[in-house]
Amino acid sequence: MKTRLRRALVTPLVDENPVTLHILGICSAVAITNSLYSALVMSAALTAVLCFSSVVISVIRRHLPHSVRIIVQVTVIASAVIVVDEMLQAFAPTTSQILSVFVGLIITNCIVLGRAEAFAAHNPPGVSLLDALGNGLGFSLILCTVATIRELFGSGGLLGREIFTSAAAGGWFEPVGLFLLPPSAFFIIGGIVWLIRSYKPQQREQAEFEIIATDSVRNR
Amino acid sequence: MDNESPAKAILVVTVTALLCSILVSSAAVFLQPLQKAYADIERIRYLVQLSGLVDSDADLSEFAIVSAYQDVTPRLIDLETGSFDQNLDPQSFEDPDTADELQQLVSIPAELDSARLELRPRWISVYQVETDSALPRLIFPIYGQGMWSTIYGYLALEGDLNTIADVVFYEHEETAGIGDQIQRPAWLVGWRGKKLYDEQGQLQFDIGSIDVDSPEYDYRVDGIAGATVTVDGVADLVRYWFGPHGYAPFISRFDAGQER
Repeated sequence: MKTRLRRALVTPLVDENPVTLHILGICSAVAITNSLYSALVMSAALTAVLCFSSVVISVIRRHLPHSVRIIVQVTVIASAVIVVDEMLQAFAPTTSQILSVFVGLIITNCIVLGRAEAFAAHNPPGVSLLDALGNGLGFSLILCTVATIRELFGSGGLLGREIFTSAAAGGWFEPVGLFLLPPSAFFIIGGIVWLIRSYKPQQREQAEFEIIATDSVRNR
Repeated sequence: MDNESPAKAILVVTVTALLCSILVSSAAVFLQPLQKAYADIERIRYLVQLSGLVDSDADLSEFAIVSAYQDVTPRLIDLETGSFDQNLDPQSFEDPDTADELQQLVSIPAELDSARLELRPRWISVYQVETDSALPRLIFPIYGQGMWSTIYGYLALEGDLNTIADVVFYEHEETAGIGDQIQRPAWLVGWRGKKLYDEQGQLQFDIGSIDVDSPEYDYRVDGIAGATVTVDGVADLVRYWFGPHGYAPFISRFDAGQER
């Protein structure tokens, strides 16, 4: 039992990371990782929503009619997201403005509905909470890694503090503007996926189609 | 009860919806005072930034905002007479409860209603910046329909009541990433130094690209590609508020040399 709980919490960190293995939640990972601070807030918001919705859905799982389960799950998730959004607006209004629509878009983050449908709907609340927490932390891990790289090389600092003195201010560092643009997050996430899959080849997906060289090609 | 029966489905959905709506609405109700208090500070922050009393790009602490605001005085304009109203206390219009009792709403003639407001208040607070200058800046509230929402902002005029000193839009629900570029400092800087009225006192202000050599260049602010509907809304609301049904009668009195 204990190993099962541990497994639920730890495997989503690297072995079954929602971003790098399942390639979920890419939208927000690309959008808000240009500064570490917004990535941290986004991570906290998503983890909170994920934990809340997983526990609620797990509690009512035996009473969920199959035909309307997705509607009920999305209702629970959307309510949690709105509460988190309202709290950000009240307690961290400037952050809320920076994250703008992306807090609301947690509703459509596939990780949340994915864990609700794949795990919380079939497992008791305790282990569902750990699974949610694990997946939230796995998402946070990738988000913060990407944000650290992007902010450090894009603006030469972290959390708004200067680390590399920029050339404009008499130092040596030339900020790489590309890192502040959304495409750089794609490259970095792609790089992380590649690194993890080189280290853990069992994560590699089987090709859906095999490319076969036909005679006509061979004879050419 | 059978889990797959329609009755059970309706029951589960109804109960979930009810509980979730209670959760969401109580969060909204309990957190609203905090959000409102923050919105008030933000509004004052914008007024202080427009006042020219502080460096408008500086990141100000709440204390710095409130202390700079001491030099910004709300003054009430009676839009029906186009002059300052000396009898009513502007503070009573800052408080929503007393403002509701005192305020009169005036319907806007359809042909003048470019901001699509239908009604506007009779009295409105403008903000005078107290400096040594004989002709202080005045900050005018402006609002009107954008693409999705009502856009609220302030426009500061230099002492000549024609040159735009600065502008902000502090509340709107325009498309994130597109229409919300009306809040981008780089765009708002382009408003500074532009003029509203020509020599004859005709309102010439508009938004949209124009050749630098054109005589209308002094009255034109650049548009925002992709956000045409929002930006047109902004141009229309500025033209309404500084037109004949808005502040124009008030402004023309001072052009005629009347005392402030």
